[in-house]
Amino acid sequence: MLEHLNDAPARPSRVVVIGAGGFVGGAITHRLAAADIEVLALTRRELDLLSDGAAARLAQMLRPADSVVLVSAIAPVKTVPMLMENLRMAEAACRALAQHPVSHVVYISSDAVYADDANPVTESSPCAPSTLHGMMHAARELMLKSATAAPVAMLRPTLIYGAADPHNGYGPNRFRRQAERGEPIAIFGEGEEQRDHVLVEDVAQLAVLLLERRSRGALNAVTGVSTSFHDIARLIAAQFGNRVEVKSVPRPGPRPHLLHRFFDVTQRLKAFPDFHATALAAGLELARRGAPRQATHG
Amino acid sequence: MSAPVIGFAGMTHLGINSAAAAVGRGFRTVCYDSDASLIAGLAAGRLPVVEPDLPAVLQAGAGRIRYTAVLDDLAACDVVYIAADVPTDDRGGSDLVGIGGLIDAVAAHLGPTALLVVLCQVPPGFTRRIRVPDERLFYQVETLVFGRAVERALNPERIIIGCAEPARGLPPAYRQFLAAFDCPLLPMRYESAELAKIAINCCLVASVTVANTLAELSERIGADWSEIAPALKLDRRIGAHAYLAPGLGLAGGNLERDLATVARLAEETGSEAGLIRSFMMNSRHRRDWVLRTLHAEVLGRQPEAVIGVLGLAYKENTHSTKNSPALALIRHLAPWRLRVHDPVVSADAARHPRTTACATALEAANGADALAIMTPWPQFRELTAHDLARALRGRVVIDPYRVLDGASINAAGLDYFTLGTGAARAAREGPSHA
Repeated sequence: MLEHLNDAPARPSRVVVIGAGGFVGGAITHRLAAADIEVLALTRRELDLLSDGAAARLAQMLRPADSVVLVSAIAPVKTVPMLMENLRMAEAACRALAQHPVSHVVYISSDAVYADDANPVTESSPCAPSTLHGMMHAARELMLKSATAAPVAMLRPTLIYGAADPHNGYGPNRFRRQAERGEPIAIFGEGEEQRDHVLVEDVAQLAVLLLERRSRGALNAVTGVSTSFHDIARLIAAQFGNRVEVKSVPRPGPRPHLLHRFFDVTQRLKAFPDFHATALAAGLELARRGAPRQATHG
Repeated sequence: MSAPVIGFAGMTHLGINSAAAAVGRGFRTVCYDSDASLIAGLAAGRLPVVEPDLPAVLQAGAGRIRYTAVLDDLAACDVVYIAADVPTDDRGGSDLVGIGGLIDAVAAHLGPTALLVVLCQVPPGFTRRIRVPDERLFYQVETLVFGRAVERALNPERIIIGCAEPARGLPPAYRQFLAAFDCPLLPMRYESAELAKIAINCCLVASVTVANTLAELSERIGADWSEIAPALKLDRRIGAHAYLAPGLGLAGGNLERDLATVARLAEETGSEAGLIRSFMMNSRHRRDWVLRTLHAEVLGRQPEAVIGVLGLAYKENTHSTKNSPALALIRHLAPWRLRVHDPVVSADAARHPRTTACATALEAANGADALAIMTPWPQFRELTAHDLARALRGRVVIDPYRVLDGASINAAGLDYFTLGTGAARAAREGPSHA
């Protein structure tokens, strides 16, 4: 469950974003700056968590009143060496946080921590990852909670999309790029799998809300609406005037075990009643235009 | 043998209604509570609880009742029932400190042959630990249903009695009293009777959870649970009285208390109780149905929305707000203005800083963007679709318990949302009610 330690939203004195150069970290940094909150944005250039002495360097930068957002990760984790590197990065952050206590920690985790059959997923669903990627996030969550006395909020986004996404994974980002190039949008099989896709700016906004309320516990960053890949492809094709074809291609492997994933957003409605996730069609349009979404939330 | 005198210790909802049943069956009855002001109020005819027929039954038997705040007055009783409230915590666990103190106090004032009967809900194992000679100590399953308490207390389907040794038979005074209710008497060991009460509630919860689970599915696949439930009731294996009406989770605290007790006992004994945890999870999920509907239909689009809330009591015909779905909803509507009406419960119970207390149901709808009927009070059925359409600023009527007729609501140009079937939206070219 999520618990707010601030009864009302309060501006953090400073937020240290570890992993500010990435897709999500960049969006969070941008949103904090837009809210006029002081940010220390650490990209890999300023702090490589895998380098020697990273923990000590991070500890030197931390102040007791800081809030820390840890978003840095090598993802998606597909191999054991990648898993171990991510854990070493987290270990460095944990050592710094243990050495220099801070006011609040927000960890950007993933919905991959949940069991595949946890439908509909809530924040109370059991954490039983079936992938190395999910196991990495689940382990990092526990590492942070055990390393620091500060309250830790775990934001668990589902599939994220947005204009600046560097990945080209199957879904909205790849579909949009295929459409931009005038190529057919390729869906696997009938594209019937239903998933929740969340706009990166919404993830950033939820991170800011967690920081302002100094929240502790888990929150899923999701919209609460799941849509099939087929329907997403059709939405994107429509944005391009239906000049591109939606084409079924053979699946690269067997049909996924996790066919559909739905989320129950009730906890978020209670925790942040003023926040409303961007609907998929509107978010896809924003991503197409390449413009970060304007801040509209309280 | 002369008719026994029956005592009740604890003028709770259970105590008052059980005493009314004893009086109604013609027995002299002593009603004790340590709260002298409560006793004075009862003696003056001021009832702290709302139940159909309760005032009339007590009035008719007034000559046989004695209200007292003096423990010594229970010494005249042949049978004394313990009818204390057993509070529950947030997790449904029972706080047994109060009932333990009351039992000790009453036991010290019993006559030498008087019987002590625990009537309130206690966990299995509780009665056998009481330090009263076991031939004089019993546990009786209560079957209180808020809003139907007098009717059920006067005419129970059966009476389940927990005894130290069932083979001994019931003492004459107790048997004479229970025989007046003209129903099967089922003596069994203490632990069986204590668990029987929980088993009854678990069966009810199972039915309700099946209804709630399939009602949600009905909402999403175009079915209507209200068409399905009557068909199930005609199946002899399910039965005409099965609890198949969908609701906002499990209402009241007693069902959740029993689930928590089973979960705890299962944990302590290594029994498998995943089903019980599923009941709890489904109840929590369905309780928030109105909140989700409000967000999807109104709150996500209208930052300045005004919400009308009809009903604060946890169910109709009661003043009780314990585990009330209305109050659970209101806790999460802080950013919005509310207009609230309940026929019995004061709007102060909402504890919401932006609440307007309304004298009538229609007044609560006035200027609201959405109306949520959170308690199925019969008087809310008098609202007409035409009046609602004129009063509401918005178009959304959320009526989980189907108090109103959805087709009429639609015909008046309003969207209608209820449990067990999908949203019924009005045709937008329909009549205008500016």
